[in-house]
Amino acid sequence: MDVVRRSDNRFTGLIRLAVTLGPALLIVVVALALILLAINKDPVTAVLQFIDGALGTDQRRSDVLMIALPVLLCSSGLLLTFTAGLWNIGIEGQVAMGAIFATGIARLVTVNTSSWLAIPAELALAMLGGALWALLAALLKTRGNVNEIFGGVALNFIAGNILLFLLNGPWQAGNYPQTAPFEAPALLPRLTPSLSLSLPALAIAATGFLAVFFILRGTHWGLQLRAMGRNARSAFMLGVRTERNMLLSMALCGMLAGLAGALLVISPISRGKLVPNISGGLGFLGVLVVLLVNVLPTWVPFVALFFAIIPIGTLKLQNLGIDPSLGNVFQSALVLAVLLANGFRTRLSRTSRES
Amino acid sequence: MRVELDQITKIFGKLRANNAISMTLEGGRIYAILGENGAGKSTLMKILSGYQPPDSGRILLDGTPVSFSTPADALNFGIGMLHQDPLDVPSLTVLENFMLGEPGGLLPRRKAARETLIAFAERFGFTLRPDAYVDGLTIGERQQLEIVRLLSRGAQVLILDEPTTGISADQKAALFGSLQRLAHTGGLTVILVSHKLEDVEVLCDEVVVLRQGQVVGQVMMPYPTDQLVTLMFGKALDRTPRQPFERQAQTKVLHVKALTVPDSRVALVDISLEVEAGEVIGMAGLDGSGQNAFLRACAGLQFGTAGEIRLADTDVTRWNYHDRAQLGVAYAPAGRLEEGLVTGLTLTEHVALTSPAGRRVNWKTATQETKARIAHYSIRGQPDSQIETLSGGNQQRTLLSLLPSTLKLLLLENPTRGLDVESARWVWQQLLERRATGTAILFTSPDLDEIVEYSDRIIVFFGGKARMLNDPSQTSLTELGQMIGGK
Repeated sequence: MDVVRRSDNRFTGLIRLAVTLGPALLIVVVALALILLAINKDPVTAVLQFIDGALGTDQRRSDVLMIALPVLLCSSGLLLTFTAGLWNIGIEGQVAMGAIFATGIARLVTVNTSSWLAIPAELALAMLGGALWALLAALLKTRGNVNEIFGGVALNFIAGNILLFLLNGPWQAGNYPQTAPFEAPALLPRLTPSLSLSLPALAIAATGFLAVFFILRGTHWGLQLRAMGRNARSAFMLGVRTERNMLLSMALCGMLAGLAGALLVISPISRGKLVPNISGGLGFLGVLVVLLVNVLPTWVPFVALFFAIIPIGTLKLQNLGIDPSLGNVFQSALVLAVLLANGFRTRLSRTSRES
Repeated sequence: MRVELDQITKIFGKLRANNAISMTLEGGRIYAILGENGAGKSTLMKILSGYQPPDSGRILLDGTPVSFSTPADALNFGIGMLHQDPLDVPSLTVLENFMLGEPGGLLPRRKAARETLIAFAERFGFTLRPDAYVDGLTIGERQQLEIVRLLSRGAQVLILDEPTTGISADQKAALFGSLQRLAHTGGLTVILVSHKLEDVEVLCDEVVVLRQGQVVGQVMMPYPTDQLVTLMFGKALDRTPRQPFERQAQTKVLHVKALTVPDSRVALVDISLEVEAGEVIGMAGLDGSGQNAFLRACAGLQFGTAGEIRLADTDVTRWNYHDRAQLGVAYAPAGRLEEGLVTGLTLTEHVALTSPAGRRVNWKTATQETKARIAHYSIRGQPDSQIETLSGGNQQRTLLSLLPSTLKLLLLENPTRGLDVESARWVWQQLLERRATGTAILFTSPDLDEIVEYSDRIIVFFGGKARMLNDPSQTSLTELGQMIGGK
């Protein structure tokens, strides 16, 4: 990622992505087709059903887009921390905390509250919750010498348990571990009643992503993060305040994850209430997205969108008697295949350079 | 073993790093491959030791053409290379490192390996404690470990890349002694890659001089030094006399009072020092005698347990590195790619990173600024070259170009590490220019010549104690060498 010759590199980046993504996709699709054949399902029908299920109607296309937004927010946040060399695996807990903090406001909202008051407050609290949880992981690293991966995993568990405690205790409504549905003013507005599309949600996610994109491409701070990610010791010696930047990038990532958490409880495609396991692996999905694009910002929105197609599309496969978990297999196999293809590509280019 | 290199050529882009190099190296002799930075020494030795294949040309061992694809492969043929920075695993013990890469079964044979290690170490007069952790060893000890490891694996050809960088005089003597024994009685082919003429003159039987990827001479030692220099550089180098330091009107830059710094080996105890603007102070001492700890303590990278550090009139004892930098203190580490420059970033990115610019980076001005610095510091590289593609000398030039233009105090850890005579001279020319503008310079170096030549005062470190020599011209190299050894 050479910023000096930007246009040139965007082009080679595209080629590189095509070279790795193409064969990887092919391999995974063939493998899935074989699986389908093995269980006596017609792969072609399955693919057609899948595409129709994901993109067949306006309603479905809008669902795909709305599902992609929290993934995009998480991936954007992770772009920052990964660039700085921080493996923020605790993002799952940060999403949950965002959802919890947003719910803290949302469940107080009545039919008469103004949306103009409720929604900004929910979003602000969600960002605060995510940022605090991320800062905790960051402080554990900088002050307690706890690797952010281990700290993050532990904090994910704790966040999950705080969520369960709230849903089985103070916030429980009815017999199930969940809150009561939020009142309409607490929810993000739909563009039209029939579609799940919400312009504010779209704006939030787009702003988040563009901010990160701009930080990494154009700012001095973004350059500092890149230097840290490659060699924190040298960056420190060259004058970068590495500890402060770690805290800052984690907090920013937490804010974006918190926003994703808020979308999970108040966007039109959400259930409009807080339920257990609210994040459902969304943060990890963000990790996969960022790994898939090799921490190159440009491609994140497309891959996020692509990943959102999968769960919606596989829902339709149930009609054919195929379990939707096939979608997860597809996602994970794809990431693995792309990482492998990346490895092969570097190996190939290395040997071709040498011989 | 006889090593023949036949028309070895290696091209990187437009650069002919090795251009049809041929030579024959016989067993039982010590050879030097001499050349300035970028002459093609390292490339050639990487080819010989299996790190990279040549583009064309053959390697013959005892008359048989061979080719190998990995260093392990080369070692199986009996060629072992000792790198400038030892390639070991610092978090493992000496014994564990020794056993790494050993062929053999599922369960390591610790006991046998320990006996082999001790036997080999004793044979060469090395003191290696099998259970010591490698990260606590000096560079010299780590080299000994690597030599023992290579020999135990059956190396018949031993390549040493700048082995005397960063080791003490005693360790150097021990190393040279064992190399001579290995070659002259053991029959090994020893190849020393170096640009240090004094090492070459003391140790080697024969010298091959490379310049710009070609062999420009193969001569028997002893051979006149000035002619070797002429071969190396294609011209004779002259010695420019140093401007004597004139004590100015008492502008104190640094004042260290009774500083005590803990260190992994020897703690520095009760050191005091006053440095004036424009003064150059050389710090001599064996590896790990406390000079680096002192330098880092002045930079704010390490903190003392007692004492006081003042910069001009400010007490900075508890200030960290970045805060002291605001007062005009800079520190240049010896490990350029480890803790100085960022691998993967371009020159422009380095310049932008260190420029106290606004929030946004203006890549256009950054590129222009980089071009200006490339010209001023004669760096061989482009604004968009990634830093690791530059040679060691050019990396050092880059590191110096990144230092703020006005400084009160410049702290340098071995500023000419791995540089040839000309690059080293150039570095000092830059440093003396800074000194002329009132920058005080504190530097460490394992090279006593360098210390005597450039210092206004010398501090000798031994076992955590410091001894001040106020007039270096009154001290001979021999005396200095003895003081370093604690005499």
